[in-house]
Parts: sequence; C-alpha cells; structure tokens
Amino acid sequence: MAPVIELGPGAEENGFALMMSDLIRQNLEDHPHKVRDFDRLRGRVAIVVEDAAVAVTMLFEAGKLTVHSGIVGIPDLTIRAPSDDVMQMSLVELTPRLQLPDLRGEVTRQVMQASRQGRIRMYGLLGNVPLVVRLTRVMSIN
Amino acid sequence: MAHKFPSKEWTDAYKDAVNGNEAYRVAGKEWTHGAVAMVVKADRSLGIEVDTGMILDVDSGSCHGTEFVHGLEACDGAPFIILAPYAQWKEVIQGGVDPIKAMMQGRLKLTKGHLPTMLRYVESSRQLVVSASRVPTEFLD
Repeated sequence: MAPVIELGPGAEENGFALMMSDLIRQNLEDHPHKVRDFDRLRGRVAIVVEDAAVAVTMLFEAGKLTVHSGIVGIPDLTIRAPSDDVMQMSLVELTPRLQLPDLRGEVTRQVMQASRQGRIRMYGLLGNVPLVVRLTRVMSIN
Repeated sequence: MAHKFPSKEWTDAYKDAVNGNEAYRVAGKEWTHGAVAMVVKADRSLGIEVDTGMILDVDSGSCHGTEFVHGLEACDGAPFIILAPYAQWKEVIQGGVDPIKAMMQGRLKLTKGHLPTMLRYVESSRQLVVSASRVPTEFLD
C-alpha cells in the first residue's frame, strides 16, 4: 500500500508541518527502501523548533502519517531544538547496510555534538529506541 | 543608486550581487538543480497588481541571468518557486531573516520544488539571502 501522508486540521497554516510532510513524502519517493521503515513506524513524535516558535506532532500509524500543528496528544518522543539543528537532523548520514547514523559523517557528528551540548533534547528516547531509529531513517534525506 | 523593489532594475542588480558574493560562489558550487523564482504576492495597496516574480538562473555558484516577470504562471519554468508577501521579502532584503526558519514559520513558502534538495543546499539559500541584502533597495512603503 502506498504511504499515506496527511495534514491534521489547520496544519496547512503551519509552515513547519508543511515542510515535514513534504520532506517525508519526497524522501519516500526518492528512497523507496525507506517505505519499509515508514510502514513499521508507530508512535507520536513532537518536534518543537524553539527559535522559530513552531511545533508539530507527527502521528505515525504503520503506513500512515498525520502531521498536526502544535503539540497534539501525549507524545511518545519529544524533540526540542533550534531550527538549524532540526534541519541538520534531516541531513544525517546513514551507514550503507544498517541505515544507522554514520558516526564518520560530518553532519552526524554535528548532531551528536548538539545533543551532548544540550541544543538538541529528546524526551522519551530510552523507551522508544526503535521509533527513533526508524524516524531517523525516514527523516534523513541520505 | 537604490533600485525600487520589486522591479527589473532590482532583479538585474540582484544578479550582480549574487555574482559578487564569494560565499555564494563556494556554497552554490554544487547547485545544478535549476532556476529559483522569488515571487512577491500581489498587493494592490502597494501597487503590485499581480504576483511578481524574479527568476534567478543559478547554476554552479553563479547567476547566469535573471528575469522579471508578472503572474505566477510566468514562473512555471523554474524548478523552485518561493512565494511570500511583500512585507516578508522586505525583511529578507533587510537581512534579518534566515530562509529555512522563515519557511518553518510559514513566512516564506516553497510552492514548487524538491524540499530535500533545498535542505541539502541550505547554505546556498542563505547566501542568496545575504546577496539580496546587499542590493541597494528603495522599498515601496
């Protein structure tokens, strides 16, 4: 079944929600192997872009994504970061075989450093490692 | 001499500003994805009767030409179209806007184009904005 990506009510007014839905849709078109991860993604992920004062909640339901404006429901995973770092997360290099963040990659190292320095904060990471791994694959343009 | 924005003269001066920006030459070196159109939404209160586009034929770190056009359909040939009201473009030209942050906030809208490509060359987009801020500009308001 083709991936379903929708905007929640009012999300068409949220630029970041439009960007996330376009980014993931175009990523899945460019890299069809990512559809497998998309189909297995289940969970609610909130991303708060602190310096832009915008947030989205992405509700993944195994093959369907609804991008909501703002925080909707109780997220399994919440990511808070400035706009530069949020966009860097979409550029993370992945290892060829396992499609995990490649620590040899320049952007991956920058993202790890931003996490260590507290610029990127993830809440709910420990209990949702598979969600984070699949989200990283689906969000990365690499 | 300041150029009225938006106008053909401003668009021509923008080309010179892009080509005079060494940081753009470096950041845009690998950009081979086609022209970028910046479109100002129609605003009759300012005398902008129809959507007005400035098309930058950018490739490999240089701007090879520009077009000043009227009507969104005149921009159809550009693979990337960014649309915003006059006030947002004014902020961009005044240098206070990060293009990606402005897109997240819905102040600039990528109405056509491949977003992952845009993100991959984000520094190139930033340098286009820096170049715009270097054009001597006379605003309509």
